[in-house]
Amino acid sequence: MELSLTRVDYLQVGLTSPRCLRVLPSSTPKTQQKVVVGDQDGTVQLFSMKRGEVQNSFTTTSPKAITRLELGGALGTVKDKVFVSSGNEVRGYTKKGKQFLGFDTNLTEEIKSMYISGSDLLVCGDYVYNHYHDCQDSNYFLAADRINDIISLPAEKMKSLVPVLACEDRLLRVMKDSEVLYSVELPAPPTSLQLFYNDGGENGDQLLYGTSDGKIGLVQLGRGSAVHRWVSEGGSGTSGRVGGVTCMDHHDLTGDGVRELVVGREDGQLEVLAYEDGEEAPPTLRFSMSCSESVTAVQGAVVGNTGYDEVVASTYTGWVFGVTSEPMDRHLSSESGVVQISQDSKQKIQRLRDEIDDLQQRVLKERDQYQAATQSTFPGISAVPFFSVNDKMSLSRNDASYLLSLEVQTAIDNVLLQSDVPIDLLDVEKNSAVVSYSTCDPESGNFLLATYRCQANTTRLEVRIRTIEGQYGTLQAYITPRLQPKCCQVRQYKIKPLSLHSRVHSFDSTRPYNTLVLRGQFTLPEIHAWVVFCLPELPERTPATTQAEFTFISTFLDTQLHCVYSAGEAIFKSDNISTISILKDVLTKEATRKKVRLDISCEVSEDSVVHALHLLHPRLEAQLMLAKQVSLIEALRELGCHEADTSFLSPEYQHILDNADSLQAQYRKQPCHLERLYGMITDLYIDKFKFKGVNVKSQVPHLLEILDNYGSLSIQHLVNFFQA
Amino acid sequence: MLVPIFTLNLNQKIIPGRVCIGKYDTAHACLTASTTADKVFIHNPHQRLGITGGRMSLSQSSAEISLLNINQTVSAITAGVLTQPRHGDTLVVGTPTNVLAYDVQNNADVFYKDVSDGANAITIGKLGRHVSPLALIGGNCSIHGFDSEGNDPFWTVTGDNVSSLTLTDFDGDDENELLVGSEDFDIRVFKHEEILFEMSETEAVTALCPMHGSRFGYALANGTVGVYEKLSRWWRIKSKNHAIAIYSYDLDGDGVPELITGWSNGKIDARNDRSGEVVFKDNFQSTVAGIVQGDYRMDGKNQLICCSVDGEVRGYQPSTAESRYSMMDVNIEQETIRELSQRRHNLLLELKNYEENQRMGSSGEVVHGKPSTAGDQVGIIPANTQLQTGLAINMGSEEKNKPPHVEIALATTNDTVIRAVIIFAEGIFEGESHVYHPREHSLTSNIRVPLYPPKDVPVDLHIKSMVGYKGSLHYHVFELTRQLPRFSMYALCTTAVTQPQGSVSFRLSERVARIVMWVNSSFLLLEDLQADEEGGMEVSFLSLRSNLPLVIKADPQCHMSIYTDDMELAGDLIQALANYLNLDDLQVEADFPSEVDQLGAVLQRVEEYHATRQRLSAEMADHSGVIRTLVVRAEDARLMGDMQSMRQWYGELYNLNKDLISGYKIRCNNHQELLSCLKQVNQTIQKAGRLRAGKSKTSVISACRQAIKNSNVNALTKIIRTGSP
Repeated sequence: MELSLTRVDYLQVGLTSPRCLRVLPSSTPKTQQKVVVGDQDGTVQLFSMKRGEVQNSFTTTSPKAITRLELGGALGTVKDKVFVSSGNEVRGYTKKGKQFLGFDTNLTEEIKSMYISGSDLLVCGDYVYNHYHDCQDSNYFLAADRINDIISLPAEKMKSLVPVLACEDRLLRVMKDSEVLYSVELPAPPTSLQLFYNDGGENGDQLLYGTSDGKIGLVQLGRGSAVHRWVSEGGSGTSGRVGGVTCMDHHDLTGDGVRELVVGREDGQLEVLAYEDGEEAPPTLRFSMSCSESVTAVQGAVVGNTGYDEVVASTYTGWVFGVTSEPMDRHLSSESGVVQISQDSKQKIQRLRDEIDDLQQRVLKERDQYQAATQSTFPGISAVPFFSVNDKMSLSRNDASYLLSLEVQTAIDNVLLQSDVPIDLLDVEKNSAVVSYSTCDPESGNFLLATYRCQANTTRLEVRIRTIEGQYGTLQAYITPRLQPKCCQVRQYKIKPLSLHSRVHSFDSTRPYNTLVLRGQFTLPEIHAWVVFCLPELPERTPATTQAEFTFISTFLDTQLHCVYSAGEAIFKSDNISTISILKDVLTKEATRKKVRLDISCEVSEDSVVHALHLLHPRLEAQLMLAKQVSLIEALRELGCHEADTSFLSPEYQHILDNADSLQAQYRKQPCHLERLYGMITDLYIDKFKFKGVNVKSQVPHLLEILDNYGSLSIQHLVNFFQA
Repeated sequence: MLVPIFTLNLNQKIIPGRVCIGKYDTAHACLTASTTADKVFIHNPHQRLGITGGRMSLSQSSAEISLLNINQTVSAITAGVLTQPRHGDTLVVGTPTNVLAYDVQNNADVFYKDVSDGANAITIGKLGRHVSPLALIGGNCSIHGFDSEGNDPFWTVTGDNVSSLTLTDFDGDDENELLVGSEDFDIRVFKHEEILFEMSETEAVTALCPMHGSRFGYALANGTVGVYEKLSRWWRIKSKNHAIAIYSYDLDGDGVPELITGWSNGKIDARNDRSGEVVFKDNFQSTVAGIVQGDYRMDGKNQLICCSVDGEVRGYQPSTAESRYSMMDVNIEQETIRELSQRRHNLLLELKNYEENQRMGSSGEVVHGKPSTAGDQVGIIPANTQLQTGLAINMGSEEKNKPPHVEIALATTNDTVIRAVIIFAEGIFEGESHVYHPREHSLTSNIRVPLYPPKDVPVDLHIKSMVGYKGSLHYHVFELTRQLPRFSMYALCTTAVTQPQGSVSFRLSERVARIVMWVNSSFLLLEDLQADEEGGMEVSFLSLRSNLPLVIKADPQCHMSIYTDDMELAGDLIQALANYLNLDDLQVEADFPSEVDQLGAVLQRVEEYHATRQRLSAEMADHSGVIRTLVVRAEDARLMGDMQSMRQWYGELYNLNKDLISGYKIRCNNHQELLSCLKQVNQTIQKAGRLRAGKSKTSVISACRQAIKNSNVNALTKIIRTGSP
């Protein structure tokens, strides 16, 4: 059954951080509930809707941004107390607006996430986790990577407190007191946690997680280990790429007695998914809506009108709106064909208009004053505060490319992208901005200059970027919003030498490895800084242990890289010789720059090259096959339009003809894939001989010739060439 | 939201832009489009078409579809009343070398003509005072108008390859004018053979469609669509996708047609003709191939019919008054409130900026002069910072490998530096913008951005410069607009130059002072030019592109001469001057010896190519005869069991085939060469026309045409020189 829901706006507050909106529970079902929302200006307000008008129950302000808003109450009672985190303080309010708690956690970091369970308060900064029982410091833990979210399994069912941390290094850390009980590896960095069915399922041990690349998964957390139940790729499947999950909730919107899953995503999608097989299988999409800016919070409730279920949501720029099952056209009388606007709305619109006129006058006056200042000789200043930019650059494992998303609190005028390394920009279907490439003069150090001119009311821009491993530098985005006085802000993103590697937690030691060993007078923080310089997805903080160990996988080739380092010694192992070669070059350069003497030794495994070629082989073959099939499509179609019956064609050709559209789509989705593979093989070839001290650049055309005829040759041919 | 009233899948690929609809039997509308394998399909769901055979064959896959073999790339297709109305519509198909008018009902050719300029765009209708309808074929720089007999009573030239054509009553005199969009970014309005108006756009004009009255819609190759009312553009929008088809149709039933656009990403939208606001949209899975209207449901009303390249067809009906309001978003009050709140939000943000500015300013603690970093959360520059701009000509330098160019100088008035400059301008960069972004350590408060405008058009430069301090994360953006004069790529010569051979001279009944004013406004001069003591004027320039001189002279009686070897430049200058002075008619004496010599040589080559073509055709005919014999002989041998001779005959056949293929390649090359020569000829005629204005211009073009028809090169030379035969 398709759901039909319509959006109704309630109010606009300041910018909101993720999960700063909650709906207070009501004693009787289907009656109007109150909404509490906190924004980055530090305002917390509780409101309800009465005949389309916002009724404010209370408003409080604080100097610091609200970073999280949770509801709590004694175990077993209604959770109707509001807790907010702001700076490193946690405050509690009753639903009447009376502050009953003001608690300074004394954390060194600002609170980023928080969870309340009865009288237990769990707070997390970037790396620290702290547990307070009745405001008494009870447990403490320092995580190895950034903590994105925290939750605890329902205390009523678990009989004990089981906090779970969602960490950027793709791990769920299940805690017991101050120790990690065990950790669960996830397919992508988790960004949001939610109890399954809002109560953790029958035994209270089922937990949903949402990831930064849009996946949603269910894990069952046992006493000593976890079981993965399912992972859903998410999204409507048409665009192929979905935004990261920012928030989740469960609510019965269809009225069939089963709660649906409500998901809010970074790219502005708000989705309702239904569990058709309970906890056994991923839910199916029932409704999806785009609101063109990140959704920061969702919750199912009854707010707008009694009797109608809806999803209340907030967005980054502070819109609070409902997506309601209430049919919208009942306000309109259809006989006259004229849209009737209710008296209330008319007044509301008029009030808004008056307010805008008034503001307009003031702005004009201020604008003149500002202009006058630019003409005066009096040495004043023109100071314009920073506008907020919500930006993110993340590597997507599926197609080995980066997604840069920029979101501004007001409409964007244009964005200038500048890079000092060669990178490619790929088109993102959703973007409506007009892109224009400017010619680059290599003398000025630019390899990419592109402007994105945005259409009116665009607050969010996404750009897909393809990097080349071994080429590193900085990508800069100059963002100019349509706000007077016109200003622009610069955001910088590092393109790392091994930009296409991503973190994993298992290491396959059976492969043939090349080893790079560095010894010298360096400290752990120093070597950690160098490794961070080379590889993405690593915490900036130096690990607290004496030895650091990280494993990476190449998103393009699936080769592994294993780094183990401590003060004075670092060992890198990879089954791809090019990876080792890049690391060696970059680390040597960095060490020389810092004037640290390094003792470098390399152990090259001949087998690894053959191994890497065997990893490449199926991809190369698949790509060549695809290219061949796509080139045949037109001709086959022509045959098809002449003949009524195409059964005389060979099965292979029939297959191509039947799947022509999907083949073409696949081909379009991976532009230059073949060229990238060729580049990898060439690098492999050059690097293999570089370690032997032989320059084989002159042989490269010969190699390319073999690759061009690869379809008719076997892999052995290529292997022989490498070993010649 | 409007839903389609019917959808069909034709299971035929459709080539974008080659879609039309015709009532070939006067009653039933048939969707007609070009598909793969150089075929045209006719979809006739209502009635079986009469006869097969000839060009027509029935499709194997569907009984409703008939296929026409064209055997050449279809470059344009249209249907309309060309013969008598009672005979129904005629299908006109254009290919790179021919045009075919085809009577679908009777499966017979109406005419089949060679058009050596190709047929890039076709439209059918009544033009000006011509009594019978014409099929107007736009080719490389030329436009032919064929009547039903295959005669071409209309012929004219235009500046570049024609990319779109349409007929509309532009000046409201109940006669149709011809609108021509071409690859040199111009939209020209032809009344009879005369150019009435020219509008310069920013990219090749890919589609034109008449709308209400003298309004028309246009689409450009860079993804722009818009609407003109006469000479003024009402609106335009630019998308990153390309508009494949535009059409005017009254979808919301308010009596005024909207502009319907079909996009390369499969989107269809209808925009209000006055505001450009989207009133309706829908999505196809694949690129839109074409939009037409026709009575496809046989209910007496025309539907809007949209097709995608995959053969999906959707029909839409105009909404009635009752349903109109439901088409509008029911959330109108929601939308109004949202929009108003958004505006309030923006105003509040701006106000906050000013308040913050004042607070900081009055506190006196903050000082400027240092970069603003992440910790500051505020970007500060001195309030009286100003950005000064200047346009100048830079003669370039040999060693830095910089050719001469125009440059914009930008400078701030204090210690702030310019981090980056973005210049948005249309038509002079590869994209729509040019970015100047120096290295971090070489930032200064004074920069020069080189520009190389490729064409002589006036350009508005929208400059955005980011001003702040080195290492800052926040910059103030200074926005300003400067106009680049039309002839900015010509530098004033202070030393004497050798006078070029080519020249145009004419007499104007104007004061020299106005000519001087024109020069001052069209060229980039450091200081304004003055007339000399006698009241005359003489000024010489050097082209920065070709390094060739240009001399403009006027004596006190306003006898003017322009000396340049570039006939096109002379034409541009005269057109610009005629425009500036509002001249109705201007006849000139032109002398371009090199151009004329070249024209002679080109015409000679055209003749040679024609001869070669004939020879090649004859050869091909010979070969096909031999092939027939060889096939028969080889097959005979096979039947006789004489394998050795069969092999021999087939061997010969193979060799002959190779010959044919190489012959074909030669033919292709020959044809390409021929095309480019013909284009040159057309362009020369166009240039000769542009040396004149008004009536003289038209008469020159038609006289040239006559001379070429009679292959009278001497007359041609004379016409170009004097303007009359």
